[in-house]
Amino acid sequence: MGRESSCGPYYQLRTQKGGNCIVGIPSLSSQELTSHLPKRRLDVYTSKIISSDKDLVALVFYGTEQSKNPRNSFKHVYIYHDLDLPGARRVQDVDGLRGEKGAQVAGETMGSGNTNLGEALWCCSNLYSDIKLRLSHKRLMIFTCRDTPHGGDGERDRQARTKASDLKETGVVIDLMHLMKPGGFDVSLFFCDVVSPPEDEAELGLQMEPCGKLEDLQKRVRAKEMKKRSVARLNLCLGEGMNVAVGVYITALQARKPNAIKLYRDNNEPVRTKTRLYHTQTGSLLLPSDTKRVQVYAGRQIVMEKDEVDVIKKFSDPGLELIGFKPMERLKLHHHLRSAVFIYPEEEMVTGSACVFTALLRRCSERNVFALCKYTRIRNSPPRFLALVPQKEEVDDGQAQIVAPGFHGIFLPYADDIRTLDTPQLPTASESQVDKMKEIVHKLRFKYRSDAFENPVLQQHYRNLEALALDLMAPEHIEDLTMPNVNMMDQRLGSLAQEFRDLVYPADYNPEGKTAPKRKPGEFCGTEKKPKVEMSEDELRGHVQKGNLGKLTVPVLKDACKQFGVKVTGTKKQELIDALTAQLTK
Amino acid sequence: MARSAKTALVLCLDVGFSMSNSATGQEPPFQQAKKVIQKFVQRQVFAENKDELGLVLFGSDNTKNNLAKDDQYQNISVHRHLMIPNFELLEEIQNDVQPGSQQADWLDALVVCMDLLQNETLGKKYERLNIVMLTDLNTPSSPDQLDIIIGNLKRAGITLQFFLPFPVDGGGSNPPHGGKALSREQQQGLEMTKKVMMSLDEEDVTGVCNPDLSVFKRVEKRPMAWPCTLTIGSSLSIKIVGYKAVCEERPRKSWSVVDAQTHQKDDIKRDVVYCLNDDEETEVQKDDTIQGYRYGSDIVPFSKVDQDQMKYKTDGKSFAVLGFTKQSMINRHQFVGTQVLKVFAPKDDEHAGVALSGLIRALDDLKMVAVVRYVYARNGNPQVGAAFPCIKEKYECLVYVQLPFMEDLRQYSFPSLENNKKYTPSEDQLSAVDSLIDSMMLVEEDGEKKDLFKVNHIPNPQYQRLFQCLHHRAVNPSVPLPPMDPWLTTALQRPLAVATRCQAPLETLKKKFPLKEVVKKKELKTSKELFGNSLGTGISTSLAVWERVGLHSSLGTGSSASLAVWERVGLHSSLGTGRSTF
Repeated sequence: MGRESSCGPYYQLRTQKGGNCIVGIPSLSSQELTSHLPKRRLDVYTSKIISSDKDLVALVFYGTEQSKNPRNSFKHVYIYHDLDLPGARRVQDVDGLRGEKGAQVAGETMGSGNTNLGEALWCCSNLYSDIKLRLSHKRLMIFTCRDTPHGGDGERDRQARTKASDLKETGVVIDLMHLMKPGGFDVSLFFCDVVSPPEDEAELGLQMEPCGKLEDLQKRVRAKEMKKRSVARLNLCLGEGMNVAVGVYITALQARKPNAIKLYRDNNEPVRTKTRLYHTQTGSLLLPSDTKRVQVYAGRQIVMEKDEVDVIKKFSDPGLELIGFKPMERLKLHHHLRSAVFIYPEEEMVTGSACVFTALLRRCSERNVFALCKYTRIRNSPPRFLALVPQKEEVDDGQAQIVAPGFHGIFLPYADDIRTLDTPQLPTASESQVDKMKEIVHKLRFKYRSDAFENPVLQQHYRNLEALALDLMAPEHIEDLTMPNVNMMDQRLGSLAQEFRDLVYPADYNPEGKTAPKRKPGEFCGTEKKPKVEMSEDELRGHVQKGNLGKLTVPVLKDACKQFGVKVTGTKKQELIDALTAQLTK
Repeated sequence: MARSAKTALVLCLDVGFSMSNSATGQEPPFQQAKKVIQKFVQRQVFAENKDELGLVLFGSDNTKNNLAKDDQYQNISVHRHLMIPNFELLEEIQNDVQPGSQQADWLDALVVCMDLLQNETLGKKYERLNIVMLTDLNTPSSPDQLDIIIGNLKRAGITLQFFLPFPVDGGGSNPPHGGKALSREQQQGLEMTKKVMMSLDEEDVTGVCNPDLSVFKRVEKRPMAWPCTLTIGSSLSIKIVGYKAVCEERPRKSWSVVDAQTHQKDDIKRDVVYCLNDDEETEVQKDDTIQGYRYGSDIVPFSKVDQDQMKYKTDGKSFAVLGFTKQSMINRHQFVGTQVLKVFAPKDDEHAGVALSGLIRALDDLKMVAVVRYVYARNGNPQVGAAFPCIKEKYECLVYVQLPFMEDLRQYSFPSLENNKKYTPSEDQLSAVDSLIDSMMLVEEDGEKKDLFKVNHIPNPQYQRLFQCLHHRAVNPSVPLPPMDPWLTTALQRPLAVATRCQAPLETLKKKFPLKEVVKKKELKTSKELFGNSLGTGISTSLAVWERVGLHSSLGTGSSASLAVWERVGLHSSLGTGRSTF
């Protein structure tokens, strides 16, 4: 191999609070430093920053000439970044190691020397132990392109293995992120003894290829990473005394911009918000128990305690209650309310659950039926009905899971959720028209993949943040995949579009024309856009005296009320008039 | 304005003495009818629309109507003139409307109602006039005026609806199942009602409405049209109009916080203060704060103005086809968003209709969908979604659902179940599951496919319960909240027929699959009490029948045999006006 050493272990720790730390250790070779190596790490950094902003990350190079670590007790180990939250500065640092120029910089600062993975691992374990936070999850990723880092030095191999097992004993998960290597990367030569076996997934025969993980990492760039966590753990009740424990997961949900944080203008420090409830008259602070809840109907105020309002929503204890089964064709496509949930057994809560679940899953799937369930997520949440649609596991050639086994819970609408529409009575297309459209459809076929489209709104937001944080001149350009590629479509269609138009539209018809005599925006929004007619006080008094306020329109009256600071509770004309009269005859 | 069009409706309730008679163990027809009226008025009150309502009692001890003269139109009392219903009316119905000891001819009462409607709607505009008759038809009535009455109803455009305490089959005078045979008066009355309904119906065929649910269906919210243009490439456009077809409906009002003593909203003020993260918690003004976003350990200040300037912008509404793909490529469980749109051509544009129909049929034949970029309005967030073809007997449309973006997907993997020996069920166990599925099928395969549990026919229980409690509290301010309406509890449960059928397979299942709770967490103890006390009594079930006549069988309480079933003869769904569900 031309490269003597270019490896980087990476580790990641999760704190109890959900925080996460990563330490990366790349090593440098004397001659060439592959430019993609730091690039990878940069991607991990930027991705980590967006995906899980509470993770601590460190970056350590090994196989360097220079050494930089506490007391410099480890040779050829260079702690580039200590274990900490990654920030803009670090991204810039790593960015500096990119490309040829970056390789040069790296060569100058760290150089390339002997490789001793054992020392590097030892150093990492010190980094972990120096952290005072309680970490929920510790992970170490080794980036390397060499399957025999010590070139057959048995002593060093042994030392590395020992250190690795020490680390694993303290709860560190070691992952291998191997990079491209001509001739293939042979994990069995050395690294199989160093990395952790896939966690609880060991017994499922789910062996992800290391390179798959790397792709995974890159794929996650600029998408908030979601930890696999159930939204609820409940009983699926098949009947009295037959409770199967299941976890409820969310597998697709609209991602939104992270929340903004309020900062103090002078020093850009975050401020805290406090909400206070106080009495308008006495000014004394109120406790929640000093309040009640009210709704007004037909002029009557209906008062309830806060507890009552909550308890009204309670129908049953949290859980999934089986109602029965229906053939799949009974599940209507348009019965969609919100993102589905995913149901998977929780053997740790009720042993035997997985077996019942598996049997149910298999038979539902084979018989093409779904289970109808009543779903109460938490205490005081009103019930919703779910169609539990079976999904069998699918794996790809490399035994990696593409589709997980379990039930998808599709939310079904109640009667109130379905709206009655007046459907227009219109002529239908003839066979020749339909056939022409089929040609068009044929020309514009593509293979849809659910992960093919990025959300341009989010992507732009992240790019903007990045640009601001890293002082870039302009945010990186995003490719908007939601825009139709009109040129390509036109090209593929050729004359078909014209032909279809000739078939369905008469010559004088303009399909782009306005659908209806469109109302001008001003008209639509009512009075808002109209120039406000301010009325002088005298004019108004005149009206009041003559008693012909009633001739004015409601908006004018409202404006008048605002103008003279008259408080009005209602919106009825008479109420406005009364209020104005009262004010001006004082 | 079309929206202000309102309905005038007269409830005509028989309070005659026969209404108090009932077979043992059954609720008298009067009580059942009263409950229907209460439910209906309650719905109208909470709907807060402009619909007006009158109440006429017949068979009452007193007489109070315009037509009463000598011995004509006796024992008919106009209890409430046409006006917007309110809580006072609800209180009156609860406290003052009681069964009488007299009897009156229901045809006479009908005439009084017509008279009331005609007099009190004079000079005002109504979309519809309607009379609802609740009676057991147990009074002799003279049919000689029948044709004149029918003629008048037609002329005035009044629709009529009957609620009867016994089932009406198409066949005629067969005795109703379960209940006692009809009296001669009832049979005669039934014939007359049928005649009235038939002759009215000929006039007003469009008014025919599926009796299922029309009582509960909400028609109040007019769907908002979303006109747009569907584009394929740069040179093919089709005018379209989209409507929200399915969307989680929420009540229009929310709770506001008031002072516990005065019950005044104005007595309470909520205040948000900002303070620095120092020991003194120094307060700062809102104007002195800016917003920022976390970028790793840093917080990047990013003002609203900058953000608006730099953010992704769209230049107007859009429904642009990106391409076409096989329907099988779209995963049902990956639908996102909170609504389903139905897309039609504009009502008066037949060319657009033909063009869209071409697309819909082509997609349907090819089992494909259009993947489209959807933007609701200028600077709205763009979506990528699928437009499915939908061809119904009466109409064709595209059904649009939003699909996920890459960022929305969470690629979790779960341990395999099939490859794990510990979890693999035996043949024995599988067949136990099979018989459970067999016994719990909600759709019966033989003959007509009947669905025993249609979720889309159940009104949202949250709002049913909310309005039940609001009604209760409004009329009885100091009394604790009532228990859940039994019909509601029943409606949310496994149908009785299924529950009975699955008993044995369930027992087998329990034996075949040992389940053991892992003790240590108390959160597990729940759901055992769920089933015990929730089965309704006979009376409550019959109320459910009242509520949702058409649904009766599909709700499948199974215990309907011996109940007095009130059935509607009317083909007009007049009770369905206003907000019909809660």
